[in-house]
Amino acid sequence: MALLEVRDLHVVFKRRGRAPVAAVDGVSFDIEPGSMTGIVGESGCGKSVTSLAVMGLLPSRGVQVHGSVRLDGSELIGRGDEDMRGVRGRRIAMIFQDPMTSLNPVLTIGRQISEAIRRHFGTDEDEARRRTAEILDAVGIPGARSRLGAYPHQFSGGMRQRVVIAMALACEPSLIIADEPTTALDVTIQAQILELIRGLVIERGTALIMITHDLGVVANMCDTVNVMYAGRFVESAERYALFAAPRHPYTAGLLASVPRLDEPRGTRLMPIRGNPRDVIPWSAGCAFAPRCDNVIDRCTAAAPGLEEIEFGRTLRCFNPVPPPPEVPPPAAKRRRA
Amino acid sequence: MSDRLLAVRDLRVHFPIKQGLVMERTVGAVRAVDGVDLDIERGETLGLVGESGCGKTTVGRAILRLVEPTSGSIVFDGRDITHLKGEALRQMRRRMQTIFQDPFSSLDPRQSVARIVAEPMRVHGLASRAEVQDRVRELLETVGLPAEAGSRYPHEFSGGQRQRIGIARALGLNPDLIVADEPVSALDVSIRAQVLNLLEELQDRFSLTYLFVSHDLAVVRHISDRIAVMYLGTIVEVASADSLYEQPLHPYTLALLSAIPIPDPVVEQRRRRILLAGDLPSPADPPTGCRFHTRCPFRRPERCHDEIPALREIDGGHRVACHYAEQIRDGEIRPAAGAVVEG
Repeated sequence: MALLEVRDLHVVFKRRGRAPVAAVDGVSFDIEPGSMTGIVGESGCGKSVTSLAVMGLLPSRGVQVHGSVRLDGSELIGRGDEDMRGVRGRRIAMIFQDPMTSLNPVLTIGRQISEAIRRHFGTDEDEARRRTAEILDAVGIPGARSRLGAYPHQFSGGMRQRVVIAMALACEPSLIIADEPTTALDVTIQAQILELIRGLVIERGTALIMITHDLGVVANMCDTVNVMYAGRFVESAERYALFAAPRHPYTAGLLASVPRLDEPRGTRLMPIRGNPRDVIPWSAGCAFAPRCDNVIDRCTAAAPGLEEIEFGRTLRCFNPVPPPPEVPPPAAKRRRA
Repeated sequence: MSDRLLAVRDLRVHFPIKQGLVMERTVGAVRAVDGVDLDIERGETLGLVGESGCGKTTVGRAILRLVEPTSGSIVFDGRDITHLKGEALRQMRRRMQTIFQDPFSSLDPRQSVARIVAEPMRVHGLASRAEVQDRVRELLETVGLPAEAGSRYPHEFSGGQRQRIGIARALGLNPDLIVADEPVSALDVSIRAQVLNLLEELQDRFSLTYLFVSHDLAVVRHISDRIAVMYLGTIVEVASADSLYEQPLHPYTLALLSAIPIPDPVVEQRRRRILLAGDLPSPADPPTGCRFHTRCPFRRPERCHDEIPALREIDGGHRVACHYAEQIRDGEIRPAAGAVVEG
């Protein structure tokens, strides 16, 4: 059984005087224990709202959440706040983009982490502090024991994000959702933090959902990648298959529009036209149709469904990008000439 | 050289750190820029790359004379502009424009797009009202916005379109040099390429010279002819964009290049990464000797700690500030154990 089963998740925001907007519009996915999954999309595609819905962190007023989110078989949607508190942090933890806002500025980091341990495990203070020092050491805070009494502002951005990771790991959750965990950081610090997250989740067997706009980040981290557009998954595949042959025009467009370090210079970027606001509602066809180069008449008549095109690979498109003519054999099987 | 548009020599910008309320005294200085040499040829794009706090933005602002240089000289088109004042400075500024990072805060929300784009022309009294109107329409078309955009307001536009408005404003005075400070960093991935392509088209069309300031080495490499890498207020390496990528010589450049994720898992698996230890030191109290030695995986004892490396030419315009660049290139000095991570 999957660790987390999300089925037909909808999140609708009501707006005063305007039509409600469906930020998440029927998303389904499974997270296996210990797996690493990416959700990729641009601002406003609903990737963060998906994670907030899973965590039960959306406000109850003005927001409707439908569908099912099952953790180890038990339903999370509709649970009360008090009930969810035993899940958040303990079973599913989150790492947010901005480490400064996820830490309480007036509490020492030792207190913030040990409090979670005491609350979820009921250990005494000494034991909680001992475990806190241990976890801070594991995330690479130098002199962890002596820094339990330090406040968040006494750390640099990269170190703060390490503290946030320590907090996420402290209660040994089965799943960590990392929402743009390195977007606010410099590239050399980003490399440190991604390496740290990867090492720790592998070592502890924690499942990871990585939410990002950066295809480079998921290429290195995630086993499966889901590409999200306008509230729906448009393409999901195992990472090698996806990057070798993106089939959805949006995925292909994203890949063609970022300059790559390993490409010869002078390779012209092929942007996607329009901007992420140019969408039509899914009820009137494919939301990506106004920006799509592959658009055909069918695309504005009805919305394409999510179809399994290969084992473990799903696609929501009537006129996909053709696969490259010759698929080279995987490196392991290639024979020497 | 006759076609040099900008020459910056030993530029320093130090911001004083003050203490005390009544008797304010200077207790130190943030050495944001600490001895920078830069040359920009007419018609080229020089990329200035580095992480936050390295001083790259301050270099751009000092060139535009938006911050006062502490020492050093800035020569623009053969004329020393380091200490220009008043009307002379105003006249000179016509020839240099800037594109900002944040398309939301860099446009006045209460002015129509036409007014925003026309403002530099009005300030410099360049044209009559009717001429300005024609020019605005022409500029909006040039950057790919509909002509009726002029009567609308910034909030009606998306981030990418707002950045186009900022570019139209910068073009209005037919500048020679455009300082673009992180012009695509705030934009969505699919929009970045549109703006980068536009900047390239405009450069060809109007023979513009760009100083392109960014933290993103992949973007900088794409758009620049030459790249200068900055670390903690100094330039550590300057080379052509190709040579910097094919033969990076400074350990910081090596680390920076290997830190950028490439959207291809096959490539990612094969890559070796150099991970830097620790964080950027404070520019108020920079390390002695080579400023990078506290984080450098190739650090040698003594010399790196004591002696400031000069920015020296290795071959054909490729300059680097590292005592051991050749030995590192030839594999005679290996990185410290633990600094290299496979795939």
